[in-house]
Amino acid sequence: MKIFKKFTVTALTAVIAVTASFAGIAAAADSLKGKITVNGSTALLPLTLQAAKEFQKLHPKVKIAASGKGSVTGPQAVKKGIADIGACDWDASMDVPGFKAFEGQVANKVAVIPFATIVNKNVGVDNLTTEQLQGIFSGKITNWKDVGGSDANIVVVTRAFGSGTRVNYQAKALAGGDITKKEKNYKETGSSGDMKTAVATTPNAIGYIDLVYVSGGDIKAVKFNGVEATSDNVINGSYKIWAYGYYMTKGQPSGVTKEFIDYVQSKKFQQGSLKKLKFIPISAMKG
Amino acid sequence: MGAPVQNLASRAQKSSLAESSISTKRHNRHLFSNTMFRYYFLFSILALCLVLGLVIVFIGKTALLLFAHLSPLEFFFSFNWSPEEEAFGAAAFIVNTLSLTALTLLIAVPVSVGMAVLCAEIAPKWLKGFIRPVLDLLVGIPSIVYGYLGLTVLLPFLRRVSGEGLGDGLLAAALVLALMVLPTICRISDDAIIAVPRKYRDAAYALGSTRLQVIMRVVLPAANRGIISAIILGMTRAVGETMAVVMVIGNTPQLAKTLFTPSSVLTSNIVMQISNVEFDSTWNYALHMMAFLLLLISFVLILIIRILGRKRRDAA
Repeated sequence: MKIFKKFTVTALTAVIAVTASFAGIAAAADSLKGKITVNGSTALLPLTLQAAKEFQKLHPKVKIAASGKGSVTGPQAVKKGIADIGACDWDASMDVPGFKAFEGQVANKVAVIPFATIVNKNVGVDNLTTEQLQGIFSGKITNWKDVGGSDANIVVVTRAFGSGTRVNYQAKALAGGDITKKEKNYKETGSSGDMKTAVATTPNAIGYIDLVYVSGGDIKAVKFNGVEATSDNVINGSYKIWAYGYYMTKGQPSGVTKEFIDYVQSKKFQQGSLKKLKFIPISAMKG
Repeated sequence: MGAPVQNLASRAQKSSLAESSISTKRHNRHLFSNTMFRYYFLFSILALCLVLGLVIVFIGKTALLLFAHLSPLEFFFSFNWSPEEEAFGAAAFIVNTLSLTALTLLIAVPVSVGMAVLCAEIAPKWLKGFIRPVLDLLVGIPSIVYGYLGLTVLLPFLRRVSGEGLGDGLLAAALVLALMVLPTICRISDDAIIAVPRKYRDAAYALGSTRLQVIMRVVLPAANRGIISAIILGMTRAVGETMAVVMVIGNTPQLAKTLFTPSSVLTSNIVMQISNVEFDSTWNYALHMMAFLLLLISFVLILIIRILGRKRRDAA
């Protein structure tokens, strides 16, 4: 009990300290004020939170509320007027498989998100081509020996339909190919974390995930068409499975929302915090 | 509370005039606080009812929008759930939910009722004093913890035993759920068995019954309504459980033809897809309809418990 009490006291003190420090910062004078609501993709949430923290330090009178749910909720919230910025893993002003374009919204690129094909550590294969991946995820290839591995059934782990990661992976890695459900050796997961756990604990499993999640000894990223999944290869153009992360706005952004997006796109943030969070700066991409 | 205060007040009135004004004040104060408490309790109850009403109305309202876009026939009887092709047949989820619940109870009930009998009738005092707190602790463990154990311990085990590549499916989910509902069923059955009057047992022993006969022929039948309530309570938990199931069932919208077919139930499908749907879409309405179905199922189950409870009171 005593330990719990100590914890509570420590936690409370911490909360009070944090609140106080924020209040202290807020005392500084600044002309820019307003409120920004950001909703949408959980993949972009760490970036948004970090940017919001820094932006509010610069402009204490600006309040930023950020939350994450699913990619499609971003542009939806913008459409309904609930949010000023809708974070989305794809360009929601254009049609993507399963989702229609959101009319009148502008997509502002904020980051480059690389994705990787991952397999359980027991899988001997370390390179897969687009055709092989198409075969595996559409259910035509069901045994690792058909793609140069040992004789074992391939267990496909995928994200549920509607996930931003799935939209991008299908578009880039499978070149628009299908992911078909099967009666055996097929499972859907609800988040990147679940995906990682599932592939890590299931022998012969294959899945796909944001590159930032690839760590630890239980999963490994496989090469795509012979190219290793690294930030450098994304930047030099040889690794193709990546996508821009977008801030969707109703029309061109204006006022304090524009200032915030400008800050996120600024060299300082892109080269600093954004890189630390393992995203790739948009300026690094050619074209 | 009111009567003694009044007595006191009237006695005080008789004794002297000066004191009477003080005691009337006290009387009024008590009256006031009593009324305030009454209103407070009334308000609490009404607030709760309001929330319940809002849940039913809003879920129901959105759910019923579904039938403007989709025939009930397709929703309830089609096994094809492919949001990418605008096909929303929930039959597979409904059947899976029912079979998962049945399988769970099949595993959990014999074990938990057996444990309840052990607790109430057979175990020595020190063992009872150990088992009961442990079961109470088990009831309080968050479902995500059970789910995680299922994912990291149970699934690899099932894979090894069955030779399946994945292990996800109805069996894994039912095992996790059984573990979760076991303490609930056990503790409530335990209470029901203890509530059986001692004289029944004494009479049975006096007639020369063995302990097994007393338990099987006298105690369990006498406690059966309480045990059935316990089972139904466990059932409501099994039907509504989400997180633990999501982690081990495979989350693939298809009918579970075998124990190891990766599949999905009402709850797990809602939680998997709700964050990825557009507000004004048939897909969203269909998910709300599934939530509404779950509400209805648990409502019916609770109703059954109430009716059984009333019958038991009448019988006693």
